[in-house]
Amino acid sequence: MSWIARLRGMLKRDRLDHDLDDELRSHIEMRVADNVAAGMSPEEANYEAQRRFGNTALLKEDTREADVVAWLDETARDFHYALRMLRRSPGFTAVSVLTLALGIGANTAIFSVINSVLLRPLPYHDPDNLVMVWESNSQHVNAHNTVSPPNFLDWQSRNTVFSGMSFIFDEHANLTGNGDPEEVVVQDVSTSFFSLLGVNLLLGPGFTPENGQSGHDNVVILSYGLWKQRFAGDPAIIGKFILLNGHPQTVVGVAPQNFDWFIKDGSLTGAKPQMWSPFVFPQAFHHHKEIGRFMTVAARLKPGVTHSQAQTEMSAIAARLEQEDPDFDGHWGVNVLSLRDQISGDLRPALLILFGAVAFVLLIACANVSSLLLARAASREREMAIRTAMGASRWRVARQLLMESLLLALIGGGIGVALAVWGTNTLLAASPRNLLDLLAVSIDLRVLVFAVAATLLAGLLFGFLPSYISAHSRISETLKEGGRGSSSARRRAFARNAFVVAQLGLALVLLTGSGLLIRSFVRLIGVDPGFDTGHLLTFKITLPRSKYGRDQSCITFFQQLLARISAVPGVRSASMESFPPLTGLGAATGVRLLSQPSLALSDLPVANVRVVGPDYFPTMSVPLRAGRLFNTHELAAENHVTIINRAFADKYLHGVNPLGQKAVIYMKSDAEAESQPSEIIGVVGDVHQLGLDTAPEPTVYWPHSELVMSGMTILVRTSNDPLAVLSTILNQLQQLDPELPMASVATMDQLLADSVSRSRFTMVLLGIFAVVALMLAAVGIYGLIAYSVTQRTQELGIRIALGAQRRDVLRLVLVQGTRLTLLGVAIGVVAALTLSRLLGTLLFGVSATDPLTFAGVASLLAVVALLACFIPARRATRVDPMVALRYE
Amino acid sequence: MLKTKNDLLQGTLALLVLKTLARGPMHGYGMTLHIQLISKDILRVEEGSLYPALHRMEQDGWVSAEWGISENNRRARYYRLSAKGRKQLAAEEKNWERFTEGVAHVLQFV
Repeated sequence: MSWIARLRGMLKRDRLDHDLDDELRSHIEMRVADNVAAGMSPEEANYEAQRRFGNTALLKEDTREADVVAWLDETARDFHYALRMLRRSPGFTAVSVLTLALGIGANTAIFSVINSVLLRPLPYHDPDNLVMVWESNSQHVNAHNTVSPPNFLDWQSRNTVFSGMSFIFDEHANLTGNGDPEEVVVQDVSTSFFSLLGVNLLLGPGFTPENGQSGHDNVVILSYGLWKQRFAGDPAIIGKFILLNGHPQTVVGVAPQNFDWFIKDGSLTGAKPQMWSPFVFPQAFHHHKEIGRFMTVAARLKPGVTHSQAQTEMSAIAARLEQEDPDFDGHWGVNVLSLRDQISGDLRPALLILFGAVAFVLLIACANVSSLLLARAASREREMAIRTAMGASRWRVARQLLMESLLLALIGGGIGVALAVWGTNTLLAASPRNLLDLLAVSIDLRVLVFAVAATLLAGLLFGFLPSYISAHSRISETLKEGGRGSSSARRRAFARNAFVVAQLGLALVLLTGSGLLIRSFVRLIGVDPGFDTGHLLTFKITLPRSKYGRDQSCITFFQQLLARISAVPGVRSASMESFPPLTGLGAATGVRLLSQPSLALSDLPVANVRVVGPDYFPTMSVPLRAGRLFNTHELAAENHVTIINRAFADKYLHGVNPLGQKAVIYMKSDAEAESQPSEIIGVVGDVHQLGLDTAPEPTVYWPHSELVMSGMTILVRTSNDPLAVLSTILNQLQQLDPELPMASVATMDQLLADSVSRSRFTMVLLGIFAVVALMLAAVGIYGLIAYSVTQRTQELGIRIALGAQRRDVLRLVLVQGTRLTLLGVAIGVVAALTLSRLLGTLLFGVSATDPLTFAGVASLLAVVALLACFIPARRATRVDPMVALRYE
Repeated sequence: MLKTKNDLLQGTLALLVLKTLARGPMHGYGMTLHIQLISKDILRVEEGSLYPALHRMEQDGWVSAEWGISENNRRARYYRLSAKGRKQLAAEEKNWERFTEGVAHVLQFV
């Protein structure tokens, strides 16, 4: 009932006000009448009556304040007043709003990336229950090793923790018919793959368990992109045929638009899938462990089963497998990894560092705005003092000022969010294509909530101190004339100094981080990849087995192709390799050195296996260290020879002459491999296969004739721009076989850039933030010194009039700036020393406390800060004493 | 600052006003006179706290108010105790008795 009364009260506001006025007036009149009757003079009577009431204005406000709803009314009034005050000083408002927009915008942008990568649920049904299951060897570094098919089958039958498992491995295939031949990426999966992920197909029935049987597996599901691009989004695509590697396949489904599955680890193509196909295990896969490990495995935890329970059980299963087949499974365990960690695990450190950096930028921005508010507050001290004298409580004064701060923050935040939306899109468009493999970044509700929270927090943060100081200013001091030495002025000066020192410190931390990352990156790209990356064109060719079934036809084709390419003008030489370097793609296996004591299969030294064409090493400019290269005879037919790299020789044949040694390379079936050991005929220099930041691994090279692969990467060394000869080469290819597409065309320089793209990206972003922080801090100290000069104009004028030289004045002004700069740099260095450790894995070849970086960055900051002080200091020297003395 | 009122005093003021109104409707000035007189000048109501209190009581429904003509033909706002107010008065009187009893016990203890 009282609420209704209150609401009614609010609606009848004016009338109630009027009523209250009347009531109070009548009360006073009655008392006056009584006073006069008691003998007072009319003036005394009036005075006494009024005095008893005290502050009527405040009384009325207090009476009104009894209403809860009145509070809203007051807030609205505060808001309008704040708006007016801000409009009255447009310069200040503009600067503050822009500074805040920058800070809040940057934070929102980075948070939206974090949200998409680390926080947002993955686009599958119940994604927290999805895991990847890897094999891992205790003797090797790789914790995400691909899985062997018989092991997968054993896992599937023996586990009790997964409600479903699917294998996935990818390959290239040639798509023909309905247009130009095109090389597509196909993922071979279990028939339960889509239901495991809980994905509903856009079209078609999808795979049935029947498709897992031989003869019924000629079906495919298309990706949305491929369906749109090659089949024009044909709604009647279901049931139609396509030709894959010459074999007809029926289309039984189209995946939904945003569906994707790409796990970089274990991918043999390094590309996103365009098609899915069921895979029937040949009989050999079930029993013989000769096919090696090449599958990736995804699984779904049963409801109620925890991650650690699954890990425990799978490790136990792995242990049992190890006992059953120590030869193949010795030292091999299982690693169960949540899908979230798999996808974004390696992005997390960089993102968190960037988030910390951008938070620092916001803090610096807030300090700037707070300083501005403090400067402004000094000129409004009178206004505040009068308010307090009139009866406003401290809280009331502070509330008014906080409202102004919040208003600034809201406007700045609004612009900031707009900036963030634009900025994020631009950023991602400009960023390397392999930055965020699986995830799309967009602004959703959580990001908006974050932006609002950041805005409000920022507003409170920078608004708190100025409003506190203003609210607690001593009225008597201020209302006296020229009250400049008041205690609140002193407090303000201290606060501003503290802000400048803090800003410089934070800026130094960011600059240090940025400097360290820059040095890391420089070190990284300074690493010799082991071969010459310039003027090198690469592309992939995959020969369909239907047409090139026999090994000899593959060999012949590539021989002819390379011969034709070498003849093209502008081409210096051409060769080929199973996988291009610097891409992280490759295959590894055990190598048994016959001269060494016999070891179990699972204890064997491990090496990368690369299959190369003629002239490979000269084309790539990989130096020969010992022995010789493959001769024509060996390149043309199987001759069981191999070339090793220096890493292999150093690691496994240390101190022994490697030439002439026999090695069994288990890349073919066990029986084949053991009956045909390869002789080591040469040692070549190391090439970085995985990336510049990983040490080259032991590698063995085979000529193509030894292990005929139908998919090879062609490498062409040109005299000039590699892409200039592309069309001629394509021509030559089509003359040989018009149905063969050329895929993954890239220059080696591009591949090199791709391999360092993440480091470069993080470095660039952090660099931008550091520069922004530096500029804001410089503006901060400039503002402080400029303000101080303005305050001291009179004093300086007197000094000049009394004979102070230019440099004396400079010294006077710079003393304050220098002290603050040194303090800020010192604090910053200490903070940076403790925090730089957090960069951790992002650093390469540089220690977190690298003295050169620290010295350089500290000097840079000091110079910039002093320069910022110098400008107003110079202005101080030009003060005209006559003007200054008249200045008040 | 008026915000830092003594809660006890605030509660007492409500009690005094309610009791005063129990005798019949009265305007604000009349109430201050009445309380000052009856308490033998011990209690003097601060006008600054009276009107906010009256407003609150009106919102809570303990009193109702309307304009009327005072003794000397002046327009004044008269407050009247409502049924709810009467109940509130009884409750407050009881509380006050218990309170003074408690204080008396503590003070008597030597």
